[in-house]
Amino acid sequence: MPHGALLCFAVTILKPRSSLQIQKSVIFALVLREARSRLGSRRLGAVWLLLEPICHLLVFTVLFAMLRARTVSGVEYPVFILVGMAPFLLYRNTALRLMDSLRENRSLFGYKQIKPLDTYIARVIVETCIAATVYAILVFGFAWYGFDMSVHSPLQWVATLLLGLLFAFGLGMLLALITHALPSLKIVIRMAFFPLYFISGVLIPATYLPQSMMPVLLLNPFLHILELIRAEVLPHYTPVDGVSETYVITFTMVLLFLSLGAYRARRMHLISTKNG
Amino acid sequence: MFELRNVTKSYLTPNGRRYVFRNLSLAIPPGKNIGLIGRNGAGKSTLMRLLGGADVPDSGTIVTDRSISWPVGLTGGFQGSMSGRDNIKFVCRVYGATGDAMREKIRYVQEFAEIGDWIDEPIKTYSSGMRSRVAFGLSMAFDFDYYLIDEVMSVGDAQFKRKCAKVFKEKLQHSNVVLVSHSMPEIKKLCDVVLLVRDGGIQVYDDVDEGIHAYKS
Repeated sequence: MPHGALLCFAVTILKPRSSLQIQKSVIFALVLREARSRLGSRRLGAVWLLLEPICHLLVFTVLFAMLRARTVSGVEYPVFILVGMAPFLLYRNTALRLMDSLRENRSLFGYKQIKPLDTYIARVIVETCIAATVYAILVFGFAWYGFDMSVHSPLQWVATLLLGLLFAFGLGMLLALITHALPSLKIVIRMAFFPLYFISGVLIPATYLPQSMMPVLLLNPFLHILELIRAEVLPHYTPVDGVSETYVITFTMVLLFLSLGAYRARRMHLISTKNG
Repeated sequence: MFELRNVTKSYLTPNGRRYVFRNLSLAIPPGKNIGLIGRNGAGKSTLMRLLGGADVPDSGTIVTDRSISWPVGLTGGFQGSMSGRDNIKFVCRVYGATGDAMREKIRYVQEFAEIGDWIDEPIKTYSSGMRSRVAFGLSMAFDFDYYLIDEVMSVGDAQFKRKCAKVFKEKLQHSNVVLVSHSMPEIKKLCDVVLLVRDGGIQVYDDVDEGIHAYKS
């Protein structure tokens, strides 16, 4: 190629941007990048991305529907499971993905516009989009099969879902900061999410959990969130005594305060290449 | 210009805190090509990262009114499973080049790096030479007041090196460099000011030869 050809591209000078504009474009770029890398280079990447959680949810709903009674508090068991498990999986995945975010995006901090917080936000957005798509597909599938998929109080439901997401964001960020300081804790945290499945009442209503343990079990915000979500979707569902929105809101606020504060204190340490 | 005011930078290692710079203050006059020299581990790259804003000092401030590039030839930010085009687009978005500006930059990098239709293949299938050509071209596609170069002036074969040198010379008519190098001829050729990084301090030499002499002694 002749060298002269290079000159004919006048390289444009970029306009100065405000901090907000920069952050917006960084998050947008990260979301696309994240989605791209999640989809993978294979053609079936997109299919597999959706199929995996769909299979996960389907296997559990069908399996447990066959094992247990057909209905729980007046609704079909598969519907009951889906309503609670889909948000739980979203929150779990969000928290765990944020935990791995730093390690996987470390090389990007060479671009000074990109900060760890942007990568967290981008991950939450991508994770939520995937979960929403999966949920929509399953709801339509279930409705087509003949289940009643209507939502009892939609506005409250959306509000609670968002609150849960905010909680998962705060939790994920705190986990990311903790595991950055103590990387060996990652495996313990991963394992801790497994029992959470059972004590959060993902597969059964919270009323089926041992009543004597209830004061302890109710410390777990996931239990509150799932009970609230079910009560808002299913018309005749009564959440267990002691479930309160206020508790979740307070917990989330404290968690966000802690994780953002810890982030602020550790932000230089996080982008530093000297610390693996 | 750059101005460092009471800059302290340390890293936390498993064996405690290690200070790279303590209470450092200095000013670098505008419009100069800056060479950073010093022994391995003296803190040249840290200083470059600080100047570029990729790292933040523990305390103190670094003031500049110029635009500063990411380290030229940075390949670490590439996502292997994404195509060259998508990786270029990513950097364009981060730097606010959208629409026509983005297309123009993609075309520039494609031509400059001479990768042709490889641009749509995943980066992980590239040879290391191709990857660094893309990275170098990407840096050249953007206009900055200062280009940060950390010992990567030589990528590709002889012909490509000549091209790089040529484009770089054009860039230097409007822009400046911050160059980290152990090659004294290179420093002599490109730089107007030398910063000798030694023992947690920095000496500024307006005379390049003097700085190199001080480094060697």
